[in-house]
Amino acid sequence: MGVRADSKTDSAAGGDRRPTKHMVHVKTKEECRLGTVTIQVWTVEMPSKHAEGVLKVIKENIEGHDAVDLQHLRRFAKPKFLPPHVLGDRDLAKELHAIPRAWETRRPAVLQHPNSRWEWATPGKVPRQENRAPTLYLMVCPSSVIGLQDLRSLLLQHPPFASGADSWAYPLVIKEVTVPRMAPTCLEQAAEWSEAYWPTFYRKTNPFGAHPSTIDKAKNELESPTEGNVSIEQVMEMADQAGLATEKAGLGIRTGCVVVERVDSKTEIIAVAGDARLRLPPSAGGSPVPSSGFDASPDDSFLAEGTEDADVPSVGSEKTASKAKRKKLRKKRNKALKAAEGTESNGCSSGNVMAHAVMRAIGMVGRKRLRVASHMISSAAAKAESNFTRVGLEHDEDARDAFFLDMPLTPLEQEYFQVNNLKPDGYLCLKLEIFLTHEPCMMCSMALVHSRVGRVIFANRMPRTGGLTAETVRNDTGPIGLGYGLCWRKELNWQFMCWEWTSAAYAMEQKARQERHTAIMQQKGRRRNVEEAATVTAAGGEIDDDADEDTDMAPDQPDMDDDDDNANAGKLSFTSVHV
Amino acid sequence: MVFGPIPNREYHEGHMRKAIEMAELALASDETPVGCVFVHQGEVIGRGINGTNASLNGTRHAEFVALAEIMAKHPPSILRETDLYVTVEPCIMCASALRQYRIRAVYFGCLNDRFGGCGGVMTVHSDPGLDPLYPVYGGLYREEAIMLLRKFYVQENNKAPDPKPKKNRELKTEILPISTPQVATPTVGTPTSEIAGLSLGKAGRAKSPVKAG
Ligand SMILES: [Zn+2]
Ligand SMILES: [Zn+2]
Repeated sequence: MGVRADSKTDSAAGGDRRPTKHMVHVKTKEECRLGTVTIQVWTVEMPSKHAEGVLKVIKENIEGHDAVDLQHLRRFAKPKFLPPHVLGDRDLAKELHAIPRAWETRRPAVLQHPNSRWEWATPGKVPRQENRAPTLYLMVCPSSVIGLQDLRSLLLQHPPFASGADSWAYPLVIKEVTVPRMAPTCLEQAAEWSEAYWPTFYRKTNPFGAHPSTIDKAKNELESPTEGNVSIEQVMEMADQAGLATEKAGLGIRTGCVVVERVDSKTEIIAVAGDARLRLPPSAGGSPVPSSGFDASPDDSFLAEGTEDADVPSVGSEKTASKAKRKKLRKKRNKALKAAEGTESNGCSSGNVMAHAVMRAIGMVGRKRLRVASHMISSAAAKAESNFTRVGLEHDEDARDAFFLDMPLTPLEQEYFQVNNLKPDGYLCLKLEIFLTHEPCMMCSMALVHSRVGRVIFANRMPRTGGLTAETVRNDTGPIGLGYGLCWRKELNWQFMCWEWTSAAYAMEQKARQERHTAIMQQKGRRRNVEEAATVTAAGGEIDDDADEDTDMAPDQPDMDDDDDNANAGKLSFTSVHV
Repeated sequence: MVFGPIPNREYHEGHMRKAIEMAELALASDETPVGCVFVHQGEVIGRGINGTNASLNGTRHAEFVALAEIMAKHPPSILRETDLYVTVEPCIMCASALRQYRIRAVYFGCLNDRFGGCGGVMTVHSDPGLDPLYPVYGGLYREEAIMLLRKFYVQENNKAPDPKPKKNRELKTEILPISTPQVATPTVGTPTSEIAGLSLGKAGRAKSPVKAG
């Protein structure tokens, strides 16, 4: 696949082939919304030996104890894995009770497989002498299910909280604690929640977005292309080149879009399009194809509205196009675009909205599909086309094409448009990959939904106009997006995976975090090995390791994306533009 | 759902009638029966029906087809003095495009509860954003707009090689009334299911390139 490697690129210069950016999956609306939803539950501490009995009492006596699905939380938790606020001030009386007694000579083991439903069992381990009876905290049920007094009187009727002939009652302390209502969507989140609320499982599923393994697979395909296929660096560079080309030609701003089809990990570049909003509109004589072939010159490419439009640059209609003049015009236009940024109501919605890079690229895909369509499809399309005439619509094809601009305008666009590399009778942009220099506006985002695209990767977030991301605010930097999250909305009939292509700084921060995390895990693993050589082992390997997360991780960092905003915003010269 | 009162309703109904006629013509041509007209100073400057089947482009909605006709003769700025009449609420994509083009007002027939961007699913016309908001008035010839869509889905399902069960092929004529306006706001209130009343097996035909709105 011939990939244009034009002049300036940030990354590929010299021998250093290390990618400077990384793919970071964009959170879905649901992930953002539900990630912070919590619920209040009752908890109670008891000698481990009685855990099973108490749970039985709860299951048999509290109606609706399991009405809320909290299977992402451990039912029983050892005190050392609970955050300090859940433990509270340990009760002195309880400590006194914690002397070895007959009912405490056996130490139970909790076996909680991630797929199990709060089951637990007691394998016959050899008891270990110690001077303090092990206890467990039980998450009883949501506190909305039963009142404190009712729960108290229920538990007081049963051991260990009821005194019996041969033992004292274990002091009953019921606490209300806050826990995450929904399952975590990644390992990091499970670790953070375990630390902040209650030991939490990550089950490698995600009810609020694409399955993590699907995301990983896609990411891997994109970042590690097989021999002869394009890499994400190359395609993202091409998207930028597409925008650069139309900008240079005075056709639009520097935003671009590349459409790739990946079949059995073989990539084909289907369409390349830059923004062309500033091209002369058809009403002012704009034509669908460049007047001078594909050596596009700016002569017919500026906004026709001139001074009539306050928010668009008035650059006149010079017919000459010397290089110097072109440069000057471009400067002027950029200045106008920049000036328009700040003023409200002047969001640079200037020019032809329909010529945003995404809309043009989608249109090109349709045109290519028409070109390779089977007889059945093409005659259906022709019939549909004839409907326009039948219903009496004006049928100025040139004007229509000059409006939609879904044909190539630059040599780069033409290079890929002319290739018939689509299979006949494919559907819209079904499962195609879209690479973008910028997060698209609402119109373009929804156009991607309508077109059934499979994967979208964009380089720059557009906090004031973007339609794909779902985050709205971030603690340190304030507003970071409009929160539409159109890439994954259950209300709509199509969802796709979406990544931000972010800078090295962010990626390095991520890596550091990961390393720190791993170190903690290893350290903890060692400590645990020493501490409980022959006792409790929870099933579930790495997942459980995370659920056991305790106080080592840095607190107060609920948003793991904190760091990337600075890296990814601010480099735009047009933050207030619909892209 | 609340559709606000529409001042000078008969005048707007006159224009919506033309949009309905476009939709009827589309239906007669086996095209999704969504029609629209753009009106500038009382005069229709653009008309549209769905163009997705002709272009194999899922974004070529009636509104965009009409915009193409307008732009052949007028600069984009004319839209600031132009109103849209469309039989089905504009989708999220079209709602955003209209806002970026700074349409003056939008009048529609029935809600689009699958993709609506003016109250049906989202409220792109009135959300905070860079561009000025535009007022939206719903409910003009609402029953007609719904019936056209229902007829189309019945028609399509009967044509399909493997038609849906009989109950899906019968034309439902009952249309639930909309509640009386409670607030004098021009924008649409809570979305409800309107086209869902159709529920005529569209979902089962994943490859159908037609789309309402
Ligand atoms: Zn856009
Ligand atoms: Zn639409």
